Amino acid sequence: MDGVAPQFLGSLLAVAALVALTYIMGFRQAGKLESEAEARELFRLAPGGFEPADLALDHDGAAAIARDEQGRVAVLVPHGNQFVVRPVKGGAAITARGGSLLIADMPRLRLHLGDNARHWVGTRARGWATTDSNANSG
Amino acid sequence: MPFDPVAYAIPVFVAMILGELIWSRRTGAGHAYEWRDTGTSLAIGLGSTIAGALTGGLTVALLVATHDISPFAIGWVWWAWPLCFVLDDLAYYVFHRSAHRVRWFWASHVNHHSSQHYNLSTALRQSWTGFFALSFIFRLPLALAGFEPGMILVCAGLNLIYQFWIHTEVVKRLPRWFEAVMNTPSHHRVHHAVNARYLDRNYAGTFIVWDRMFGTFAAEDGEDRIRYGIVNQLGTFNLAYAVFHEWLGMARDVWHAPWRHKLSYLWRVPGWSHDGSRETSDMIRQRWQRSRSSQDSQ
Ligand SMILES: [Zn+2]
Ligand SMILES: [Zn+2]
Repeated sequence: MDGVAPQFLGSLLAVAALVALTYIMGFRQAGKLESEAEARELFRLAPGGFEPADLALDHDGAAAIARDEQGRVAVLVPHGNQFVVRPVKGGAAITARGGSLLIADMPRLRLHLGDNARHWVGTRARGWATTDSNANSG
Repeated sequence: MPFDPVAYAIPVFVAMILGELIWSRRTGAGHAYEWRDTGTSLAIGLGSTIAGALTGGLTVALLVATHDISPFAIGWVWWAWPLCFVLDDLAYYVFHRSAHRVRWFWASHVNHHSSQHYNLSTALRQSWTGFFALSFIFRLPLALAGFEPGMILVCAGLNLIYQFWIHTEVVKRLPRWFEAVMNTPSHHRVHHAVNARYLDRNYAGTFIVWDRMFGTFAAEDGEDRIRYGIVNQLGTFNLAYAVFHEWLGMARDVWHAPWRHKLSYLWRVPGWSHDGSRETSDMIRQRWQRSRSSQDSQ
């Protein structure tokens, strides 16, 4: 095991330096959805499939909400500069406050939809079948 | 431990990541990296070197024991090197295909795929649980065939080093002959994609010919933008979660499953469920093909 400890320490320093550099160089912007088409494409990648019938994009492209034919609701939330799909629980209350859409069990999410927010208020989200964390490969 | 080429390559890895960062900044590819994602990837890489140091001795011992019972002894003759490298790459193909088609091995391999980014730091997301998952069994046949354990390990290390540089979006396409024979950034982008058409394709390590031979090849076709990661994206940069989530998920599934289905959650393909409530990559591809053909007919 000789040489393992200094090698580890050197690697640890290199990792810290690279992460700091990534930060300093500005690779810390939030994700931005460029268009409804991009949001639609990302919704379609949801596990089990999700075909948006109705879709709204946050004004800054910071999130999106969609409903499919069966009445299921999902949102795209930022994860770093990428996005992940989150199913909205069946029956979760959807309310609006000053042009922002709020979803009951996603306290950190705020969709800035302007007048369009009203359109989504009172949406009765249908339940999703259990989506487990088990995953397929890339 | 015998000579480990990977240890000597680490400074080169660091320098190349630095180069890719600068290149991405200059060319406006501001989304190529994300600092927390980079942190997670590099931490996984660092952790894997510890896991490797802890279990490396056992891997060597197993290779030596297998070599000792082998009726063949090839020794250190020069021609054994290229032969060993090619056969080790074939063993890697079999390992890697199993890593995507058997959930037990996938639980260990998944952390290589769970970043939504595809850059040189992604390459270092190597497994911590490879030994526990018994991944070494795929290399034992080489020792049984008479190759020197030290030679096998050096070839495996060189293979891993080769795979580093292909984790990039900077390189688009290389000359045709190279793309035909070698694993390339283009081929491996396909492997990391979650787009339905690309799921479970291009398992190659160094030579893409194995995928062409065994029917698992897909070319990057540019029809839709590649999205990286896993079907159920993690949505967190948590290191421990990234490393162990699939082991936990699998344990949970085995626990809850009816007795006669318990083992199936270990050895069947990821996404398999006894009640059909989930999707395997084949099911995702079929669903995508159905939606495509119904769009075409409209
Ligand atoms: Zn893989
Ligand atoms: Zn890879």
